[in-house]
Amino acid sequence: MLFFQLGAVSNLGDAQRMLRTAIGVELGTLPPYLYALYSIRPGTNAPAVSRIKSVALQEMIHLCLACNMLNALGADPVLQPQTYPGPLPGDVGPPGGTPLTIRLLPFSVDAMDQAMKIEQPEKPPDFPIRTLAVQAKPQAVTIGQFYAALDELLKSLSPSDWRQSRNQIVGDQFFAGQLFAINGYADAHNAIQQIVSEGEGAKDDPLDFQHEPAHYYRFGEIYHDKVLTKDTNPLGYAWGPQPLGVDWSSVYPAIADPGSHDFSQEPPAAQRAQERCDAAFATLIDELNGAASGRSGALGRAVRAMYDLRTAALHAFTTALAGGTQVAGPAFRYKPPQTGVTP
Amino acid sequence: MSILEAPRVYFKGEVTWDPIVTNNTSSFYNEAAAETVFPAAADKVAAFRREAIDAVVGGGNWNPHGTHRAVFYDTAVCGVDLGRNHEQQDPFLAAAVSFTGMLVDLEPYGSISSQLFFDEMRFGAGGGYLISAPRTSRVTARYINFARNSANKMIAGVASVVWQSSFAKTDGLRIDAFDSPVLAALHGALADDDVLGLTVRFNAYRTIYFDDPTLRNGAPSVKRATQTLQAKLNGGGFQPNPARSLIVGAIGLWRRNEPAHESGERVLIPPASSSLGGSAFGRLNGNTLVLDLANVFPEIDDALTKQNFGTLSVVAVDPATNAETVLATFPYSAYDRAAYEASAGIVTAAVGAAACAAAQGTLELRGGDGSVLLAEKALRAVPDTPNLYLDQGTTANATARVYDRGIPVSKAIPVTLYSMTPGGDKIRAATQLQTDANGVVSFAIAAETGEIQPYVFAADPTDSPPDQGVDTQANTYMNVRILPADAWVGQVAPTWDNVFGNVLANWNAMAPCMDNWLNLADPAQVKAFGASLKAHTDPAKFENYAYMPVTRDMTAGQRALLYAFLDAPPPPAAAAVEFMGAAPEPQRRNYAELSRELRGGAE
Repeated sequence: MLFFQLGAVSNLGDAQRMLRTAIGVELGTLPPYLYALYSIRPGTNAPAVSRIKSVALQEMIHLCLACNMLNALGADPVLQPQTYPGPLPGDVGPPGGTPLTIRLLPFSVDAMDQAMKIEQPEKPPDFPIRTLAVQAKPQAVTIGQFYAALDELLKSLSPSDWRQSRNQIVGDQFFAGQLFAINGYADAHNAIQQIVSEGEGAKDDPLDFQHEPAHYYRFGEIYHDKVLTKDTNPLGYAWGPQPLGVDWSSVYPAIADPGSHDFSQEPPAAQRAQERCDAAFATLIDELNGAASGRSGALGRAVRAMYDLRTAALHAFTTALAGGTQVAGPAFRYKPPQTGVTP
Repeated sequence: MSILEAPRVYFKGEVTWDPIVTNNTSSFYNEAAAETVFPAAADKVAAFRREAIDAVVGGGNWNPHGTHRAVFYDTAVCGVDLGRNHEQQDPFLAAAVSFTGMLVDLEPYGSISSQLFFDEMRFGAGGGYLISAPRTSRVTARYINFARNSANKMIAGVASVVWQSSFAKTDGLRIDAFDSPVLAALHGALADDDVLGLTVRFNAYRTIYFDDPTLRNGAPSVKRATQTLQAKLNGGGFQPNPARSLIVGAIGLWRRNEPAHESGERVLIPPASSSLGGSAFGRLNGNTLVLDLANVFPEIDDALTKQNFGTLSVVAVDPATNAETVLATFPYSAYDRAAYEASAGIVTAAVGAAACAAAQGTLELRGGDGSVLLAEKALRAVPDTPNLYLDQGTTANATARVYDRGIPVSKAIPVTLYSMTPGGDKIRAATQLQTDANGVVSFAIAAETGEIQPYVFAADPTDSPPDQGVDTQANTYMNVRILPADAWVGQVAPTWDNVFGNVLANWNAMAPCMDNWLNLADPAQVKAFGASLKAHTDPAKFENYAYMPVTRDMTAGQRALLYAFLDAPPPPAAAAVEFMGAAPEPQRRNYAELSRELRGGAE
């Protein structure tokens, strides 16, 4: 579970600060999900691929919605990628404890366990088959609680704090029906409801507002290799009995945390593969920042960069490291492309 | 038979349409030759892409970066009918309806051959209330209504379309009912040998473009919208510009001998005197009359207010005596916007016992002023394959089944088969055929030359010849696309220049969206993705969502050349990559003209 240290908040500046944290968290969750996704061998693990991909897409939408909220409050979003392994942005972690360190892991039980921890709701259900650990009396707040506090704060703001149509990213080209402009508290409230619902599900219900399993449960299905199924038990659901059909072996033999790997001793092809990934990721971040700044067409260029990153990642995942038995996926490092490097 | 009997599930929501429309005109695409029309330039692909973008402003090309995807969004179950009329109690209510397909017009220039290639339609979520419906056949568009929404005259925004597909229970159809009465009822009904599976029918309407419902053809705002899109395209990246429509639909039973792709029910079409442009489908279940009016009544404003024709009456006219019997009446509240969205335009009324007998007569839908809005077309020959692709040099046998007031004919009757010019606007030839004793007519199609070949069926001796073009309401029709053999292409040396110039350049130019997945101009990438390319272009996977090219216009010769290239030993330097509309018209117009009018010309 992620816990935000949430101090007293009361004004517009606090709201902007919280939204910057939210943007960092939404951006920060993407690399671990994408690393696991791209490490799956093409043509395999269709149920897992569809679930991880759907979560990643919704995280991108959440990121854009958070940028829209911050823009609507008159501040400029700046996407600042973090390094992996490392904590997510903001004061994230149990009070007095070690922050949850996010790693880049190839598709595995560990990767899905980490993803569940990221998305875990305040009170994770104790569905039959497997019991999930419950954090005792958290002193910090979950993502859901964080957004609830943000919602309360935004509700208290003056209507004059909201700007109309300021650099909004909308779903005219992508994400129809899910990505919309924020022009006031009502829009922001809807956005927060969507973000929390898709991430954690409704209270006491694993389904989100669209009646699809929330992120935590999509990862749970993969982790348990069982379809989350309606059940007659008091909780209403159980893991299985139908298996999801996960093949943990159909994954590239990728190292974890390529960002902390020394590539200077690796073959030139592996180094070039990393450079291509870095360049594509940098372009993606640059264009997303452009989109959040209201630059026309930037979202379309970001999406193209996203595809370029995928292609570069697939290439990296199939380029052998020294020794010939392992590969490395993208490190998601923000390193602007050098001359002559084409993503 | 059909979705017009209970049980039935209603849904509503929205759909995005993201076709590449560059191939809608002969200046960019030769639909007979299945070839991209390149400008004379050293780099023909770059020049083509440039011209496609140039055509955004003033040229009607509203989506050069399309993907052909059609995706439901904000779409959910909104009602059920277990035979007790519309209900709001079932736990299946609010279940998401998921669909992603590829929108492809068999005839790129026209608008009466649209279809959706897809793999699965899903109601609900796995593990919960669920209808999982793997594809049996494509979703097919018919009954395009060119007079649906006169307030939304922007490209094809004036029109509405009936989409339909059916899902055989032998093709993996799955229903997880849990405690849902309607799902349990559907699941139970599938046990009946006469039930082949489920049918989904939905109506798409109020289509908007450029994400702006206020745009109207010819308005200055359209030019501004196109200029904005053009600037985005010139700025690089991936810049699709999908249109979007509202949808209402129903899922219900698919009975034996019922067409998979369009209504086999009783059909009421607008007579020449009617201001309506869309047909209704009807069925009498015992003493219950059910009418599907989803494609009938226009919305008269941006608020989607339904035109008020007063209290409608359904009248049965005895063909022999002209005696009239009123079967049912429907007040405006039964077909206003709220009712329309609640039950997908399907209305139900009880019919008295005496009136039931009279219902064998010709049905008419009359407005409150007594005018005939729709009149039944009794005999209809419905093709089994609405859209057919053939390779030049092959032959195929096509069939159509004749229905008489919604019941399959069980005797031999004459059918006139009209072969039409490629756009469906003129008659090429008329052939007299005869059905077999089961009302099925068969005919051979010899694919002699690359072209688009529509066929119109006339089973009623009183049918007028389609000399004004295919009438999308009165005519039943099938479209045949014959792809040129391109035998010479398959015989040239499998060099990169030949493969790119004669094969891949077509889609590299026409489909910039492909750059997202594979650079078709890069021989190393093409070679590296060889296995994947062969898998996606395999004719055996023609019906799949992911089949390439999406536009289904790769000829046999092109495939042969591409495969010869891919099968050749890799060059030493190759990367070792594993994956690697209009206001009401005073006079009815030629349907072909109406169809063409929806293509571009928004400014």
